[in-house]
Amino acid sequence: MSTATRPARAGAWLLAAPALGLLTAFLVLPYLNMVVMSFRTPSTSNVFAPGFTIANYVDVLGDEDLYYLKILWETLSLGFVTTLICLVLGFPLAYHLARSRSRWSALLYAFVLSPLLVGVVVRCYGWIIILANNEGLINSSLRQLGWIETYIPLMYNWVGVTIGLVHIFLPFMILPITAAIQSIDPRLEEAARSLGASRLTAIRRTVLPLAVPGIQAGSILVFVLTISSYVIPVLLGGFNVVLMPTLVVQQLLDAMLWPFGAALAFVLAIAGTVVVWLYLVLTNRLIRGVTG
Amino acid sequence: MTRVAIERLTKRFDDTLAVDALDLEIGDHEFVSLLGPSGCGKTTTLRCIAGFEEPTSGRIAFDGVDVVDRFPEERNIGMVFQNYALFPHMTVRENLAFGLEMRGVASAEIERRTRRALEVVQLGDFGHRYPRQLSGGQQQRVALARAIVIEPAILLLDEPLANLDAKLREEMRFFIRGLQQEVGITTVYVTHDQGEAMVMSDRIVVMFEGVADQIGPPQEIYNRPATRRVASFIGQSNFVAAEVVAREDPDHVRLTTPLGPMRARFSGETPPGAKFDLVLRPEAVAVTDDAGGDNTFRGRLEERYFLGNQLACRLRTEDGELMSLVAPPWLAAEVGAELVGHFAADRTWLVAR
Repeated sequence: MSTATRPARAGAWLLAAPALGLLTAFLVLPYLNMVVMSFRTPSTSNVFAPGFTIANYVDVLGDEDLYYLKILWETLSLGFVTTLICLVLGFPLAYHLARSRSRWSALLYAFVLSPLLVGVVVRCYGWIIILANNEGLINSSLRQLGWIETYIPLMYNWVGVTIGLVHIFLPFMILPITAAIQSIDPRLEEAARSLGASRLTAIRRTVLPLAVPGIQAGSILVFVLTISSYVIPVLLGGFNVVLMPTLVVQQLLDAMLWPFGAALAFVLAIAGTVVVWLYLVLTNRLIRGVTG
Repeated sequence: MTRVAIERLTKRFDDTLAVDALDLEIGDHEFVSLLGPSGCGKTTTLRCIAGFEEPTSGRIAFDGVDVVDRFPEERNIGMVFQNYALFPHMTVRENLAFGLEMRGVASAEIERRTRRALEVVQLGDFGHRYPRQLSGGQQQRVALARAIVIEPAILLLDEPLANLDAKLREEMRFFIRGLQQEVGITTVYVTHDQGEAMVMSDRIVVMFEGVADQIGPPQEIYNRPATRRVASFIGQSNFVAAEVVAREDPDHVRLTTPLGPMRARFSGETPPGAKFDLVLRPEAVAVTDDAGGDNTFRGRLEERYFLGNQLACRLRTEDGELMSLVAPPWLAAEVGAELVGHFAADRTWLVAR
């Protein structure tokens, strides 16, 4: 048996080799480089000075006003909120997409994917036209209707950033959940209803727990994309919304403090990983019977 | 417990008429099978009774109360699905408890009834298992227990044995029938397997293309088929073109057929000039030495198959028809032998051509 599988396994390694090589060259190595960079001594005249230090991390974590930790917390919070809104908006849509046999569902698919079809900058300017504080579509309409005097602040704050992020990341939530629901037998809902469950209870007790793997995948995608997003917070948040990626870019490109920027980026990566791991540990309890 | 009355039930999907003006009364405690080939409307009828399909027109009443406007969860039904539809994320006990929870039954009572239902289906020790840890037959019994533990007004079964192997399927027929008798629950059973329908049912509804050709007890369906397609769907049949010459008595008629003059049992209407097919079940035809008797025909033995307890034969008659018949296994005739077939008039029936 083992002798028969050995050549097959060698073949599998060969097949995976190009992808592994690519990942090593363009992901693992740069990441390691960044970790090393974060321990280098900062320099004002060079990328870094000779020698290694933990001073960068002390600066990030030990700042007297907890400035960087506060930004980290706000970044993670934005991640939670965006993920939650995407989940609440996305689940019903995903359910509909998975269960609908209508000829219009193809069109709905196209709508769901449409945020991905336009470049991020173009999409942001679209939102600016709608949300802008004085002459934006919403505020000027409300003012003409006489419902407001000045304007509702929809941009250059957390509201605008959250709207923009939800818009672009919604497909990343909907698609995995749709795939998960499609693999759930519709007869399960009928069985639940034959046993006395209302339509919503049937979905809550059968579809929702069985769709947890899809919800996990979608949530992780949206969360990770949100806490690492840069363009949307900058364009829709302006100077009022400062997130970890914004800080990292400032350190790397404006202040040229590569070791400090690397330390900031690494702290964000660690924090994000911990959150995702905690999330998986907690949600895996919900799917005890389905896997393993 | 519950009578079901179905009046002029019609269900149309886009261009196809799935069920066409079906009338059916199901009595208290009765076991009725909907039998027919795939696409005949039997499952659609069941799903209309369950409430998963909305009838295009017609009425469905439980104990005289119209239920067409009720959701499935408001009809107090127990349903067993072809693939069982057990909740994969719940243990067997949780699967059974689900319907009771929905009815707000107290947890001690849920525990008691769940345990009893599991004992009834002989799965007393399996409460803590997940469905995927059970064999197909065990899953089938869990599905049955889940449907009856809520003590529904009506039990609906949609081809529940179709996914089991032949031997288990045979056993489960008797098990389900026994359980239904014990619990005394009104039951509607959908199947395309005539053997299942015969063994289990008080009455059978034979459906084709949305129409119920015949509704009656198994013996009646088999011995006095209402239409040619019922006769050919249920069991095997030889059909002989026949024309009624005269009525002999209320139950018998004289016929002319290509095989010669024959006598047949038939109590239905025989309008003059009506064309019939004489239905001859293979087991109703015997090989005889008496070539001159009533209801005999000649033929050459063309095929013979030894089946252990019997010999399945096919005779080529003088006018070229193939007739199936069942001979005793010790019949010594070889292929090519000239034989005489004989049938008793009381074991025949006529159907419209």
